[in-house]
Formats: sequence, structure tokens, C-alpha cells
Amino acid sequence: MNLYVCIKQVPDTETKIKVNGDGSGIDAAGIKWIMSPYDEFAVEEALRVKEKNAGSTVTVITAGPDRTVEALRTALAMGADNAIHVELPETADSAFAAKALAGALKKEAKVDIVYFGKEAIDDGAAQVPQLVATYIGVPSVGTVVGIEYNGTTLKCKREIEGGAFEMVEVSQPVVVSGSKGLNEPRYATLPNIMKAKKKEVKKMSLADVGASPSDQKIKMKGLQLPPPKQAGKKIEGDAAAQAKALVTALHNEAKVI
Amino acid sequence: MTWQTLAFLIVGGGAFYLCGKKFALLYKLLKAQTGKPPKFSDFGRRIQTAIVNVLGQKAVLQDPAIGIAHTAIFWGFLIITIGTLEQFCMTIYEGASFEFIGQTLYSAMIWSQDFFTAFVLFGVLYAGYRRFFKKPKHLGQSSDANKILAFTGGLMVSIFFMNAFHVLSAHPWFTDDYFISKHLAEAFAGMGFSEDVNHGLYTFFKWVHMCLVLGFAVYIPGSKHLHIVAAGPNTFLRKLDREKGMTPINFEDETVTQYGIANTKQMSWKDTLDLYSCTECGRCQSLCPAWNTEKPLSPKNLIIDIKKNLYKNKDAILAGQDDKLTHVIDEHVTEDVIWSCTSCRACEIACPVFIEHTDKIYNIRRNLVMMESKFPAEVQPVFKNMETNGTPWAFSQSERANWAEGLNVKTMAEVGDASAVDVLLWVGCAGAYDDRNKSVIKSFVSLLNKAGVKFATLGTEETCTGDAARRIGNEYLFQTLAKTNVDTLNRYQVKRIVTACPHCFNTLKNEYGPMGGNYEVVHHSQFIAKLIQEGKLKPSKALDATVTFHDSCYLGRWNNVYEQPRSVIESIPSVKMVEMKQHHDKGMCCGAGGGRMWMEEHIGRRVNVTRTEQALETNAGIIATACPFCVTMITDGVKTKEAVDHVQVKDISELLDQAT
Repeated sequence: MNLYVCIKQVPDTETKIKVNGDGSGIDAAGIKWIMSPYDEFAVEEALRVKEKNAGSTVTVITAGPDRTVEALRTALAMGADNAIHVELPETADSAFAAKALAGALKKEAKVDIVYFGKEAIDDGAAQVPQLVATYIGVPSVGTVVGIEYNGTTLKCKREIEGGAFEMVEVSQPVVVSGSKGLNEPRYATLPNIMKAKKKEVKKMSLADVGASPSDQKIKMKGLQLPPPKQAGKKIEGDAAAQAKALVTALHNEAKVI
Repeated sequence: MTWQTLAFLIVGGGAFYLCGKKFALLYKLLKAQTGKPPKFSDFGRRIQTAIVNVLGQKAVLQDPAIGIAHTAIFWGFLIITIGTLEQFCMTIYEGASFEFIGQTLYSAMIWSQDFFTAFVLFGVLYAGYRRFFKKPKHLGQSSDANKILAFTGGLMVSIFFMNAFHVLSAHPWFTDDYFISKHLAEAFAGMGFSEDVNHGLYTFFKWVHMCLVLGFAVYIPGSKHLHIVAAGPNTFLRKLDREKGMTPINFEDETVTQYGIANTKQMSWKDTLDLYSCTECGRCQSLCPAWNTEKPLSPKNLIIDIKKNLYKNKDAILAGQDDKLTHVIDEHVTEDVIWSCTSCRACEIACPVFIEHTDKIYNIRRNLVMMESKFPAEVQPVFKNMETNGTPWAFSQSERANWAEGLNVKTMAEVGDASAVDVLLWVGCAGAYDDRNKSVIKSFVSLLNKAGVKFATLGTEETCTGDAARRIGNEYLFQTLAKTNVDTLNRYQVKRIVTACPHCFNTLKNEYGPMGGNYEVVHHSQFIAKLIQEGKLKPSKALDATVTFHDSCYLGRWNNVYEQPRSVIESIPSVKMVEMKQHHDKGMCCGAGGGRMWMEEHIGRRVNVTRTEQALETNAGIIATACPFCVTMITDGVKTKEAVDHVQVKDISELLDQAT
């Protein structure tokens, strides 16, 4: 099987995000970069399918600046066979990134399953998997927490609102985005970490994948942090007095009603 | 040539052949091991430790009663062997008596034979009484041990009988030197046997004795009694210093493709000598915090079970059939056994033959973690935190210095380099991120300021020393972290380091050397004790409380620091110190070492609660310690025991800060 995993490099979950000087983006100084945690479920799922199907290959693809190669190395260390890095500017939005990834996938001879994490934890847009599916013309199943493989069909269990699950049966080729619960991602063994350091990462330019800055749909006007959290207020008194005080506060202080 | 010569040549030859064959197998097995053995140097000290602990039986005598019994048997074995040797020689050629050494010496030899035979017999009787009536828990049941005692007892009894009938039949000139056997002879004389019968009985008991010796020789290599051959060399080759670092792996060496041990062939020959040396005395087990809280790990069983695994694989090892080797993790040495260890080293300190149990565990963990990615699931985020943020806790490195806000604590970056300060304060992840331990580090900072010590920290440039990663088996991660720290420390030309964390202390002091980091590292207990001694800190405010001190393993057993923390507490006016039943090198671990801090405790009773119960038994109002992990574990224990309202858990620096 030809398995693909699209991943994104994001700031570590413990990072205290700071906005840069001109408000055009985040201050990258001191940030530790990791593979987006949901993408780890995607890599793990692909590796498990590969282990059960002899002759399969797992290729990881990322689109982003040069630093994102490190995320590819992480996936290679987990056991992926090949890696593709599409050079994409830092400021690219979901549509631009999806165009780049789709372009890279289209260059591949045969694509059976493309795995994604359900969203990247930096912008949390959760759009790229569906956009890529659209651009390469295959179905997409999102927020998947369990997959049964049966020949070329996949029975996907996906989480929907209200704590319910939905079962979707779909045929390859397909895009699947995984969520927490799909599996427990492995910790790379040392021999694989060593091997990953030596594996080749295929570099592709925007021209190679047929994408360009004109694919960008969102223009960034500015970035600011939410206001610092205020201390809570406890309203005392009987129900009527509390209700009155609450309405007054919402009207005068919070100015929401 | 008499019939005896012929019989002895046949029986003795056969026995020596069988015994030699067994030993040759053990030797070949040892030689076939592929693991890297430790380096041995300092032969002067090695000879010294061998004299003290083998001939002097010092380590065995840590437990006085059985220690004396063992010393009796050991020395008896050495002395009686002289007589046995003479007996063998004389059986082959009757004229081969040792009388040529002179009448006085020969008299002394005969006397000593009788004396030590009695001495050994008392030793055996005590050992038997202990095994069958006293039954210490850690000893367990062992048919092997029973056979060995029967062999030894039988040997001694046969010597007395043989000597008595020798007196009756031959009336040798040295009869009086058989100062015990001659009384037995007098008793037998009453039976009125003829000299011929007495001679026959003498010959009979001599053969009983010789057959027992030869049978024992054949039995020994396959039994725990193998220690009589292995324990001496093992003591000679022991790790000489209490302070030790784990052996690093050279990841640059590309010929190395196996990290840690997956099967018993991959152990070093020194590991196997450890296995051969084990006499199953169980002293390790009796002090093991895992075993004492119903975990599946017993250091004794671990050694026995690894030995069984080795023997099970002997054919494959000797034939070089690596594909037929079975995993070191088997039905006895389970993964739970391996993850139960807190690396407290109580087993190693207790072991009379200097077996290093923990090294086996670390090497098995290294294989599980680095080669097979198998470890308790809750450890994975800990590894990831260490990798990305340089701390096992989930905090950003940028927040590492937040604890010092408003305290005017300088960083190395601010002061330039280490020459501007007296000492570098190594904060450690607990001091930096854990709320309870932030208060400890603040107290220590307050003490440093009171004493006028100039110090600086690495601020946000410090990262985890990697202790937990290393103990859990992730040597690669440890070395990554260690190299980062060594680079930073060397860049600031740091020479002296003080830290309040015994884990950081041990790692910086004993494990950074091979990574290129050589510093004078002191623990805050040593540092504070010295400041008090020099009069720079004057504890003047009385503390009207009873305090018990809980020893941290990495301070005590790993680095032999027991007295300074106690002296710091005792320097406070009005304090009353009480010791728990188990203290100093017999102190029980809090349960957090060896990476256990970061693992769930699913099996048995909780180690920290058990240790807290021991502390509460003293009725002390304050449980003092000198380790952030111990503070956390014992505080949790006190909460579990619902003793929070009358018992406090304090670091020694907090107590002293209040008193100065």
C-alpha cells in the first residue's frame, strides 16, 4: 500500500506565545518546535497499517519553512520510509498549504490513503485535510478515532457532536484525519532515530508542486494576545439581589448587555 | 599400590573430571559474554578490599550472628582443606604425610584440624537452627541450602569419627593434639572393639569423608555454593567506591548496534561473575523497598532468575546460535520486575559479595527503552518533556527562572562568568517548577544571602540533568541533556556547584565527567553544614520540636553523605533528633528514585506511605529530608496517613532558614 501522512510542525504545547514586534505573527525566539500531537496519531496509524501489509511504504510530507524538516525526521524516526519537504512561507494559510501538499501528492504514482491529524494545534484551523481531499479529488473522513481495514475499504469511526460516534465506510483512495483515541503513538527506538538522521528528505519548491502565493486566501491584518484573565467576582446575597447585581455588572462593567 | 590407591585414583579422578568439566563450562559461558566489562584499576586497593572482605569477612559480618557462623565455616574450610589434602596424598601414597614440616608445626596442624572441625560444626548447627527454626523471611526455603548444610555437617562429623578411630587403631604420637577427637576415642574405647575393627572403622570414615569432599566438589559448580569460588574474585573486582556513575554508552561507535541487554549473552563477564557469586542469602531482599511493599522484584530472585536464563541459553550461547537465544525478559524476570526498582541501592550495600544488582536492571531497561520502545506508558510524556523543554514536568523552559522573581538572584549571563561568584547554584527542575520545592530553593537562597555567599544560577539556560532519563534506560536522552548542560557550564567556566537536589548532585558529581564536565559539586546539606561550622550561619532561634531525618538514597547510599544533614538539624537550638528504625545505609527509599517518580504504582502497597509510616512511628513532629523528591513523596504519605495537622515535612534548608 502507498501510505502518506501530512504533518505540520508547531510550537510545543508548553510554549508561552508572544506576538512579534509589528504584530504580524508570533515571536519565534526560544520556541521549541514539535510535530503537532494529532499528526502523531496519523503517523502511528500509517505505520501500523504498513506493518500489517508487507510491501507498503509510508511517506511523510510537510509544507513549511526549513525548520519543519525536523518534524519529518521525527516521523522518520518513528518508522516512516520516505519524507518530502515542500518549501512554503511561514505566513501561508490553510488553502496555500493544502495546494502545496496536494501538488506534492499529485506527483506521486499511486496514493492509497493520506493520513492527517484532525488539526494542527497552532492555528487550530482544521481545514487542510478536507482541502487537500478536494484538490486531489478523493473523499475525506475527519476526526477519526478508529479504523477497520477491509481490502480497499475503510470503516471509520468518527467522533461527532454530543459525544456520539458515526460510522463511515469509504473506499481508497481516501483522506483520513485522526484524533485522540485512534492509537497510542510509539516512542522512536534509538536505531530508528539513528537511521532517520541519515535518510534523505526530498525537497520540492512551490514551482515543483504547482502552488504559488496567489493560492493564499487569508490576509493577516494583525495578531494580538487575548487580554489577561481577570480575577473572578463572587456575587453575594439572595437570588433576586444576585440577579440584579449580575445584570448591572454585565451592563456597566462587561458592557455585553 | 594398595586397593585404596586404586580406588582413590578411580573415584577421585572421576570426581575431579566431573567437577572440572562443570567449571570449564561455567568459564566458557563467562568468556562467551559479549557485553563490555568495566575497567579495573587500582590493584592495591583491590588487594586490600579482598583481604578485608574475604579473609576478614567484613561485609559478611554486617549481620553479626550469621556473620560469625559464616566466618567459622569459611576459616574452617581453609584450614581443614590442608588436612584433607594430606589425606588425599596419603591415600595415594602412604608415606606422603605432612609430618616433614616438623613436629611442632604438625602438632599445631593436627590441633587446628580438630579445633576448626568443631568451629565449623557450631557454625553449621547455628545456620541450621536459623534456617529451620528462626526462619528469617528473606532466607526462604532452599533444598540446595539444606543439602549444602548436610554436606558440611557430614564432613565435620566424619572427620571426628575418622580421627577418633585413628587414635584407637594407630595410637599416633600426636594423639594429644586431637584434643577433641581423643575424648570421642575414649568414649568409643568403651565399646571394646579390636584394633582391626577400629582400623576398619577408621578407613570407613576416612572414605566417607573423602567421598563427601569429592561429591561436594562435583555438586558445588551447579549450586549456590559456587560462591566459594566466585565470591573472592568478585570482591576483588568490585566497584571500589561507593560513589559511582552509571557506565555511559558510546553512541559515536557505529559498530555498536545493541544498546543494553536483550539476552543473557549480551551481559558482560563481570555480570556473570556476579551471578556465580550469589549465595542466595537474601540480605538484598530484606532491605528492598520494592519487595517490602509486595512488588514482584526481589533482588535475590532477580539474580537467581537471570542465572537460570543464562543456563537455559547455555547451548545457544556456546554454539554462537544468536537466533536461538531467548529474551532476558521471561516468565520470572518480567517487565514489572524491571520497572519496580527505585535504584536505591540498598541491595548492593547489603550484599556481602558485592553483586551489582542495579546494573543488570539498568541494562535491561536500556534495551527495553532504546531498542524496543517498551516502558510504562506514562513515561512517554516525561521523555517528550525532557526532549523539548529540558524538564520532566510539562513547563516551558522560558518559565524556568520564574521562581526567582523578586529575589534578586543573579544569573551567570548577568554576572559574566563563574569567576564573579563563589559558587553556581544548580536549581534543578523540582526547585524551578514544583510549587512545594520552590519554597525549598527560596529558603536556601535566603540562607546563602544571610551567609554572604556570592552565587549565580544558569537561569533559563539550565536544563534537566537527565538523571531520570538515565535511570529509566534512555541513555541517549540523558547524554543529549548532559552535553547541553556541560556546554553551558563550561562556557561559564564553572568550577563549583551547589545543589539542593541529590539526584542533580549525583549526576553532576559522578556522571558528567565522561561527558567532559568536571566540577566540584556539593550538596546543600554539606554546604550549609560548612557555613554553620565557619560561623557564617548562626542558628539562634529555638525550634521546640522532635525531628526525624529521612535519608535520600542518592545522598546517602549513592554518595555516603549521612552526617551533614543531621548536623544541620542538630545545630538548631532545642531540637530533639530521633532516628527511625531504618536509617543511614539501611534507610528505606521514598519510592521516587530510578525514575519511579514518573511512573504509576499499581502493584502492592505504596513505598512512600510505607516509609511515612516508619517516620510516624517515631512520633516526631517534623520529618526532615534533603531531597525534593523525598519531600514530595513523604508529604503525600503524610496526607494519605491523615497526619497533616500534627506532622510537617520540611527540607533542612527550610528548618535552618527559620532558625537563623
